Amino acid sequence: MSEPGAGRRWAFRLLVLVVIALGPVVMRDTYWRSVLVVCALNVMLALGLDFVLGYAGQLNLGQAAFYGIGAYTSTLLVTRLGLSFWPSLVAGTVLAGVAGVALALFAVRLRGHYLAIASLGFAVITYQVLLQWISLTQGPLGIYAIPPPPSLALPGLPVIDFANPARMFYLVATFALLAYVVLDALVRSPIGETLAAIREDEVSAAALGINTPAWKAFAFGVGSAIAGMAGAFYASFIGTLVPDAFFMTESFTVLAMVIVGGLGTLIGPVAGAILLTVLPEALRGVGDLRLIVYGVSLTLVVLFVPGGLVGTVRTLRERVVERRAPGAATA
Amino acid sequence: MPDALTVVVQQTINGVVLGSLYVLVALGLTLIYGVLVQINFAHADIVTVGAFAAYFFTHRFGGHYVLSIGVALAVGAVLGWLINSLVFVPLRRRGSELLPLIATIGVSILMENASLAAFGPIPYAFESPYSGQVIRLGRIFISLQHLLVIAVAGVTIGLLYAFIRYTVHGKALRAVAQDVETAGLMGINPNRLIMLTFVIGSALAGLSGALLGPVLVLTPFAGASVIVKAFAIVIIGGFGNMEGTILAGLLVGLIEAFTTQLMNPGLIDIVVFALLLATLALRPTGLIAERREENV
Amino acid sequence: MNHLFRADALSKRFGGVQAVQAISFEIAERAIFAVIGPNGAGKSTLLNLLNGIIAADAGSTWFGGVDLTGLAAFRRARLGLGRTFQKIRLFRHLTVLDNVLAGFHVHHRIPAWQYVVHGGAYREDRARFGAEARELLAFVGLADRASVVAGSLPYGEQRMLELARALATRPRLLMADEPAAGLNAAEVERLVERLSRLRERGLTLIVVEHNMDLVMNLADRVLVMDHGERLFEGTPADVQRNPTVIAAYLGERAS
Repeated sequence: MSEPGAGRRWAFRLLVLVVIALGPVVMRDTYWRSVLVVCALNVMLALGLDFVLGYAGQLNLGQAAFYGIGAYTSTLLVTRLGLSFWPSLVAGTVLAGVAGVALALFAVRLRGHYLAIASLGFAVITYQVLLQWISLTQGPLGIYAIPPPPSLALPGLPVIDFANPARMFYLVATFALLAYVVLDALVRSPIGETLAAIREDEVSAAALGINTPAWKAFAFGVGSAIAGMAGAFYASFIGTLVPDAFFMTESFTVLAMVIVGGLGTLIGPVAGAILLTVLPEALRGVGDLRLIVYGVSLTLVVLFVPGGLVGTVRTLRERVVERRAPGAATA
Repeated sequence: MPDALTVVVQQTINGVVLGSLYVLVALGLTLIYGVLVQINFAHADIVTVGAFAAYFFTHRFGGHYVLSIGVALAVGAVLGWLINSLVFVPLRRRGSELLPLIATIGVSILMENASLAAFGPIPYAFESPYSGQVIRLGRIFISLQHLLVIAVAGVTIGLLYAFIRYTVHGKALRAVAQDVETAGLMGINPNRLIMLTFVIGSALAGLSGALLGPVLVLTPFAGASVIVKAFAIVIIGGFGNMEGTILAGLLVGLIEAFTTQLMNPGLIDIVVFALLLATLALRPTGLIAERREENV
Repeated sequence: MNHLFRADALSKRFGGVQAVQAISFEIAERAIFAVIGPNGAGKSTLLNLLNGIIAADAGSTWFGGVDLTGLAAFRRARLGLGRTFQKIRLFRHLTVLDNVLAGFHVHHRIPAWQYVVHGGAYREDRARFGAEARELLAFVGLADRASVVAGSLPYGEQRMLELARALATRPRLLMADEPAAGLNAAEVERLVERLSRLRERGLTLIVVEHNMDLVMNLADRVLVMDHGERLFEGTPADVQRNPTVIAAYLGERAS
């Protein structure tokens, strides 16, 4: 006996695979293929944040820091210690995850606003450390000539060279999809219910036997680990690593993607990430106003459409169903 | 080579000046939190816009610097009125704790990028006519600008204090901060009062912008450098606690002055935020939450 | 020690007020123990102390032979201490069914990897608890409301949902804080019936209540509190006759 909606879920994932496969086919020039890679990276960041904010209900403004920790950890392992890419990626992911858990445990008793500021403080400190610890990170000068992931030679197939943006996109998108599948499974399991309980009311959650500090740390750890993994991919894609890429405003950008897409829906943040990555690029011709997109969309969505893109789609769908068969739509 | 005492006195003065500026910014935040229990993330951007307003008033319009402070104050007040009406009032009905905060993040991003589009990324050289005029007391240097800052800050804080302690509105404000429902039952209109507080708090932000303009690197992102310290001050001093905020603000100003003198200036943020995190760890401001959540 | 629950000289001070002062009592298994008293007597604070949400200044509590001192609220819940709240604390944005499912948190037996790849044990767990949740909903009369969003339920049904959710943890002792508050006479009657049935099934109850009908009909022993102190403890009949208790209540009505 399989789970309800399993058929539809697998159909959706197949569709996503097809879209991913077609991406670089549709976008033929290097510039737009690079945009696709950034899309995939942002999708991972947004998914990680949605897990913490949309499901566990914790406003984590430190995503930029975890992104940076993952990027610098894997890069330093590769460039300084000569470690190969994949173990470095794992190290970056794990370290970012540990940092997330540490932040959560530190912030255990903090309510919403204080947690937000503490996580922001963490982001600021991390940025300053990356900037000031010149002997380690080379500070604002940055680290150059970061190699892409080593080429993959699978039997019977031509060698896959990741310096090519299209190939890089396939790689990152695969991991983004993997992250989505894992988070989706977690969220539909009793863990999702536990996190929802914490989000809705921590006091009664504790009365139900839920160890709220531990579960918050878990959510933070997962969200930050995914961000760290994205960071490792980012570094190997962009080739040059500077601290400015991880300034705290990055956290706000990711937040905008999650909210605009639809908080607490997983697909929403995916859509939001894609939209808010592609839109400013598409608006390049319009000049300096393109960055306002983030601010405007975030504010408008919070004020008028708190369910974001996905929420709007669902409401519309329910209304259509209602009109066809009144009373058929369930909560 | 100045002796140790000179350095200490000089940096103390610098610290007090800097601290006064931070206090003005942080007071607005803490006042608003006291009544609304919400953080306006766009607060520091009001500071930036106030600074730009003062800049254009003096450098393009040829207005007097002291008057520009008033202009910036007015601009801040208007922005506060707008943000409250358009963001907090509609969202208060939804009853979510985090949505208003997220909305103000959106407003902040919007203001920063709109300023970027309007003013460009290149820093503006905001020169106050008083920066250059320096008084020498032995080996200590104080510029007239410093004195002006201390004077304005002192007068403003004093007026604010008097307002809250002695006027009807001020007392009503404290009542609303204590307990919104009871205040409402006593005939106080909380919405009007919240708006008043917001306007005052944002006016303070605008005013500090005019004073900070000559000190900061004036770009659309100037607010970002101040907001993190403002948050730290408000948390260290205690949300909604005026005296605490003043003390904490002066403390941060002093720390910054001495850190710049003795260590790498880039470390200031780290020191201040480490202090912030330490405060959060040792004095979990969940104490305030505990009192409110008593009727479980 | 044949008592299931014991409290020893519990005290708690808030600011300048002594909310609870040296409260002691013992509860036998399957007993229904009521706590009554005028408003502000410290009843809810007492429950918060027993539950572990706030820490006592002095005194100790024992549950099934285990010293609860210093144990966090969630650990007490895992030992079998259930709790409903005076101010309804439902998961308002979740459905009725999801509220109850959340209560099974401590009972899941799914190997970690199956949370990511949903295998056989996972599916069996979902089926089992789905069924048990529906049973609980039927018990409280909410069987047909399973997919309704909790926040939109009428008040009386929200109270019942809180009860069902607390029962999902399979408690040995349930602490109910004013479970009848806001219920009409018919709903109170059903509540009394359900609580009796729960007792028959082996549940021990602590009930804080203002509704005297419920207390007199249901309770084995009653603790009367006033100003944080123990005013009197005895059977419902004793309590009704006791002059100090009557004075305390009359005093409240007069003020």
